[in-house]
Amino acid sequence: MRHFFQNTKEMAFGMRNDPNLEAIEDGVNTISYPEQRRPYPARFRGVHRLTHREDGSPRCVACLCCSTACPAQCIHIEASEYPVGDKRRGYERFPARFVIDELRCVFCGFCVEACPCDAIRMDTGIHAPPYDSREQFIYEKDLLMGFAGRDGSQASANPRHEPGEASHPGVDRERQH
Amino acid sequence: MPTFKLDDREIPFEPGDTIIRAAHRVGIDIPHYCWHPGLSVAANCRMCLVEIMPPPGRPALMLDVLSWDAEKGEYVPQKKPKLQPACQFGAADGLVVKSGTSEHVIKARSAVQELLLLNHPVDCPICDQAGECRLQDYWLEHQAKKKRMRDEPVHKPKGVVFGPTIVYDAERCIVCTRCVRVSEELAKDPVLSVRERGNLNEIVVAPGRELDHKYTLMTEYVCPVGALTAVDFRFKARVWFLRSARTVCTGCATGCNSFTDFDPRNQKVYRYRPRENELVNKYWMCDDGMLEHRRIHEGRVLTARVRGENTTREAALEKAADFLRGKEPSSIGVVLSPEHSQEDNLALVWLAREVLGTTQVFVGGRPEGTGDDILINADKNANSAGVAEFVDLIALRSFSEFEATVAGGKLDVVVSLGSAVPHDTQAPGKVRALVSLVTHEGPWSKAGAVVLPASSWAESDGTFVNARGLAQESEKAISPQGDSRPAWRLVAELARALGRAPSWRRVEDVRGSVTKAARTSSVPAPSAGANG
Repeated sequence: MRHFFQNTKEMAFGMRNDPNLEAIEDGVNTISYPEQRRPYPARFRGVHRLTHREDGSPRCVACLCCSTACPAQCIHIEASEYPVGDKRRGYERFPARFVIDELRCVFCGFCVEACPCDAIRMDTGIHAPPYDSREQFIYEKDLLMGFAGRDGSQASANPRHEPGEASHPGVDRERQH
Repeated sequence: MPTFKLDDREIPFEPGDTIIRAAHRVGIDIPHYCWHPGLSVAANCRMCLVEIMPPPGRPALMLDVLSWDAEKGEYVPQKKPKLQPACQFGAADGLVVKSGTSEHVIKARSAVQELLLLNHPVDCPICDQAGECRLQDYWLEHQAKKKRMRDEPVHKPKGVVFGPTIVYDAERCIVCTRCVRVSEELAKDPVLSVRERGNLNEIVVAPGRELDHKYTLMTEYVCPVGALTAVDFRFKARVWFLRSARTVCTGCATGCNSFTDFDPRNQKVYRYRPRENELVNKYWMCDDGMLEHRRIHEGRVLTARVRGENTTREAALEKAADFLRGKEPSSIGVVLSPEHSQEDNLALVWLAREVLGTTQVFVGGRPEGTGDDILINADKNANSAGVAEFVDLIALRSFSEFEATVAGGKLDVVVSLGSAVPHDTQAPGKVRALVSLVTHEGPWSKAGAVVLPASSWAESDGTFVNARGLAQESEKAISPQGDSRPAWRLVAELARALGRAPSWRRVEDVRGSVTKAARTSSVPAPSAGANG
């Protein structure tokens, strides 16, 4: 009853709870969602993103660990080999298609846990948006690679050995022996 | 039979057996990389080390070693028994062997694992072996520790193209030399060898050569790690999604036992793997056979056609029945196919004998190819011997006689099974009304007035009789693709359209009538080689 009067008063006077402060205030506080939104915690699992390498290609190697771990079976990956002439051809593959059905996703974060390459992350901070048709929930690779993390970065924290670097595994036979 | 004691179990062995072979025979797996039951002993991976207990009253052979004493904080001299590789140590009557129960063996396995993984890139996510890799399995079983080495591992060539079928990754390689031995002992073409020493060693192809013999995919098959990958399979699928059906290779008359690995989610076959059968193929298959799985999806006829126009199966069957109704039995011809299983052919023999009443039965099939004295048979039909057995039921005539009869204008309607013809011929095109049951595009599907889509060997259970007269069952892997149905079912539907329903409804019923009607005494029972 107290909250009813408080909220009515706030509405009448145009005073609204500060979504940042209401969490530390006593009792139940009401905010006017969706005009007002509570800030998400740092580890909030939002819409997925695919991280980039330095040259802008996906870090994903299409190992299918995420789609294996996914309890909702919402990840579909079609693996493909890098074309002839590409530096990564021969031992690495990439996802020709990477599709997530965000409608089916349960946002458990298992895919992020399973990923051995830090290629899929859920740190965009984006709440799964509502759409009016099912097709719009099907996120393709380009869209997933278009998202950035909350810090604005599209890369991931740990770098990768890339062709040409001394630490890269694919050295040629002549140089090695 | 003499026995020896492995841990707490008495293991019988035949004279000449090694410990690992005798254990393998009774189903005990002593961990190993380099040993393979079909290859010679190399004893270089040291994974199968076991402790051989000394004879009673004799001292054990002990080695002086230094081991870390955590309390003292220094290495102290100690003694440990000399372990022996189980793959090389001959079994002897009354021998006492400790494998999983010896602390020295457990320690040695862990140490060997650690050594093998020292310079391994651990790139399981991009490795096609992941999921069926010995390094993964044994790490969990026998090591289960983190890597202690902090240095950069040795880097070696990756993605080395060995030949048209195989790509090699030296960093993943543990140099067990199984591939070297397969080339030398199975294919009789010693094209692979090892170069360098220690952590720099790698497999190389002989200068000026490619890995291009007929059994290159067996090098990949025996590779216990992801060092050798098949161009055909790499990057296509993850093995933990695949399921296996026990099948028989239909590439030639040898009838090698195989596993058909398919993904049940998209009903696609990804590869064959050899299935052990001492009577037929031992542990091996040839490249042509291994790649035969591609034909399950390539060049298939998946819709019924009437005069070149796609239609429903029902309409096509009705049209076929129209052709056959009221025709003089002597003007109807039937062509059997040794490409197809016993069941498919028997159904057609039944149709010819009981429904159509014709005696004009011919045998088609794929043309003869080349063979070798290892596994490959020159007869490229999987079931030639099986079809020949039907001679007890109905007179069989050759394909040349079919050509002659067609040229003589004696056949109005022909019901044919199979997609290939034994040699270049115009005969199918000259038949006035051809009803062809085909799996693949070919001369029969081109010439057929009515084309009925038959399922391939992977989409139906079936029995194939190989060149040595061994009847082997092949399991269904995937569901019939498109509008296709097993040929014996199409025959049953055709008979039903002609007003004669067959007594069989399931493949087991057809198979039962095969064994009853067509099996001659010289052929072993079907179960003899089916599961190997």
